[in-house]
Amino acid sequence: MGFIHFLELILVIAILLVVGIPLFGKLKLKKLVDPVDPAVDEYKHLLVRKEETLISIKELEFDFNTGKISEPDYNELRHKLEMEAAEIMEQLDRLEQERKKNKPQKTH
Amino acid sequence: MNDIGEFTLLVALATALYGCVAYVMSARGNRIDLYLSADKTPFIVWACIAISSICLWKAFLTDDFSLQYVWAYSNRELDTFYKVSSFWGGQKGSLLFWTLLLSTYMLVVYFQNRSKNLRVVPYAMAIMLAILVFFLFLINFSTNPFERIPLPPEDGRGLNPLLQNYWMVIHPPTLYLGYVGFTVPFAFAVAALISKNLDDGWIRMTRKWTLISWFFLCMGNLFGASWAYVELGWGGYWAWDPVENAAFMPLLIATAFLHSVMIQEKKDMMKVWNMSLILLTFAMTIFGTFITRSGLIQSVHTFDEATLGYYFLAFLFVIIVACVALIILRLPLLKSANELDSFLSRESSFLFNNLVLLGIAFATFWGTIFPIISEAVRGVKITVGPPFYNQVNVPIGLALLALIGIGPVIAWRRATLSNLKKNFLKPLIAAIVAAVVLYPFIPLGSRTEIYTYTTFVLCVFVLASIGTEFYKGTVSRMGLHEESVVGALATVTWRNKRRYGGYIVHIGVVLIFAGIAGSQAYGTHTEKHLQPGESFEIRGYTIKYEKLIAVEATNIKTRIIAQLAVERDGRRYWTGHPEKEFYKGQNQPVSEVDVLSTWKEDLYMILADFREDESATIKVYVNPMVSWMWTGGWIIAFGTMISMWPDRLEQRRRLDRVRKQEQLFPAPAQE
Repeated sequence: MGFIHFLELILVIAILLVVGIPLFGKLKLKKLVDPVDPAVDEYKHLLVRKEETLISIKELEFDFNTGKISEPDYNELRHKLEMEAAEIMEQLDRLEQERKKNKPQKTH
Repeated sequence: MNDIGEFTLLVALATALYGCVAYVMSARGNRIDLYLSADKTPFIVWACIAISSICLWKAFLTDDFSLQYVWAYSNRELDTFYKVSSFWGGQKGSLLFWTLLLSTYMLVVYFQNRSKNLRVVPYAMAIMLAILVFFLFLINFSTNPFERIPLPPEDGRGLNPLLQNYWMVIHPPTLYLGYVGFTVPFAFAVAALISKNLDDGWIRMTRKWTLISWFFLCMGNLFGASWAYVELGWGGYWAWDPVENAAFMPLLIATAFLHSVMIQEKKDMMKVWNMSLILLTFAMTIFGTFITRSGLIQSVHTFDEATLGYYFLAFLFVIIVACVALIILRLPLLKSANELDSFLSRESSFLFNNLVLLGIAFATFWGTIFPIISEAVRGVKITVGPPFYNQVNVPIGLALLALIGIGPVIAWRRATLSNLKKNFLKPLIAAIVAAVVLYPFIPLGSRTEIYTYTTFVLCVFVLASIGTEFYKGTVSRMGLHEESVVGALATVTWRNKRRYGGYIVHIGVVLIFAGIAGSQAYGTHTEKHLQPGESFEIRGYTIKYEKLIAVEATNIKTRIIAQLAVERDGRRYWTGHPEKEFYKGQNQPVSEVDVLSTWKEDLYMILADFREDESATIKVYVNPMVSWMWTGGWIIAFGTMISMWPDRLEQRRRLDRVRKQEQLFPAPAQE
């Protein structure tokens, strides 16, 4: 066996070891991700929507300050966005309350 | 070394195949052991491809002509600089280079996201690995760069002289960085479809990748135009060549995607549209590769040994069918949560911009494939040339230019007519003034001239519209804070990087439009056969042919240089040296043009022919405003850099979201 072939063999063994080791431990018992909890997804989605709505309010303010939209439009759109934000925050609060209620209590 | 290079390619293929399967099984079976095993493969695949690439580079640098690929694309006299770029000079190396870039991108994605979203990331990694498997399969079994020659020759055949140009060193890697880069958002989009994570998480995770890829694709197109301009010697920079089109189409669709994702982020709508756009962008990058490697279309860009077309066609077919099926399956989850507030809003201007961009992409696609269809159906090969593209794309391009100016002036969500009147007033006045000022100077006799005139007026309109935005932002900032004009302008740009970075990119695009219009409409050229000492005039320049110089540059290259004195107003202004280069073993000489480039126009000189009596045929082009295009490219680069610059506020918001989520749901947050 030449030196090159020896190197190739070492490479293959090293790769097999690196890739194979996790398969032969006790990890099989553990899960990669927890079962999908729709509440987590909803919470995550609402956090993003809240952030986007707040950014939209900021941008609306910017557009108003730079004279891009009129005062009546600004007021109407701002009101609409604030309502959206309030609704999202309400939903977030509801989810937080539900979660706190359902959280298992620590036993002392 | 060649044995190692060849072997590591095989190992990379086997590892990528395993990684792909293991990632999918880990996600489907929710198995952490398989995930941790698969998680080792991106690095191994990258390392193997990197070793293989180093081996090929070494073969080029050490003139190892036992490799057929090195023999075909290099020789002993080749400059080291070009020996490095010979790597991607042919089909075999270019595929390995593509694979190297893709595996490098995958490695970065792996380090960025490995612990971020374990429901989506395994699928995204699996898709990138699957694409790598396709390329590695081709490299290993169909187009191996390590193929040997039993009796190695003394010297190589050499690199095509047309490719021995610095732009050719920069242009392919830049274009490939763009092409390959779109694999990342594509992989995350498909992963989101498979894992049913169809909020805008995948867009957020890949926003910067999209921007980077778009930037490289844009610069790749411009660098390609620069190469064509200085190397091909026909006086132009864009010929609507099928391969140019193949690089242009994904750029158009990606531009549409970049705009429409903003609507999804803001309003949680257009999910199907955005999915379709990114899938189409990726499909177009593969279509471009198919065009280059199919041998079906003649182009300066196609590879000599273009034999892989049908593999790419099959791959394209699989991608399109699988993606369309996935989108249809997930349609109920892709429903929009909101609607447009008004048809008079920035959102709807973005929608129009999408339609216009897709219109240009479709016209270009049709012109590109029509010769193939015509040959397949009727057996007649029809050439679709610039007149078709110009007739269809120029009016649509003008609509796009107008939209670039309209977009910034319209507010998000809703604009009213009274406000539009107010906001459009200054840009419109600027456009009208430009129309009046330009009218006496610009002839309007032909359709081209009318288009050019309209382009210039629209360019002024767009610049005024963007300028107004900067002005209003600065004044507003100064009203709220005590800052100088420069300080307020800098702050307002820095605090709104995406918005103002985008505006700067648009300024670059305007310059490109102006450059194209100017150079296409007002260029002129002439060709003269001259004896030394004779001269001729063109657009106020007096060109005097002084002498012919022969230089033995290297053992294989002889340069014949014409010395041309350029005079203006009776004074010597510049000396041009266009030349012809003769390479040993090459039948055709290569023209090296000489260009005097100014802001106003380019004086572009070609030595078309020469005779033994030292007489020479000189071709001279005067191309107005070409440098505007290259300047536009640098402005686009600057604007993109601002848009991409990490935003601390955004990072803080992201961390805040993750923290809140982890507080309520203690498992590691899935972004």
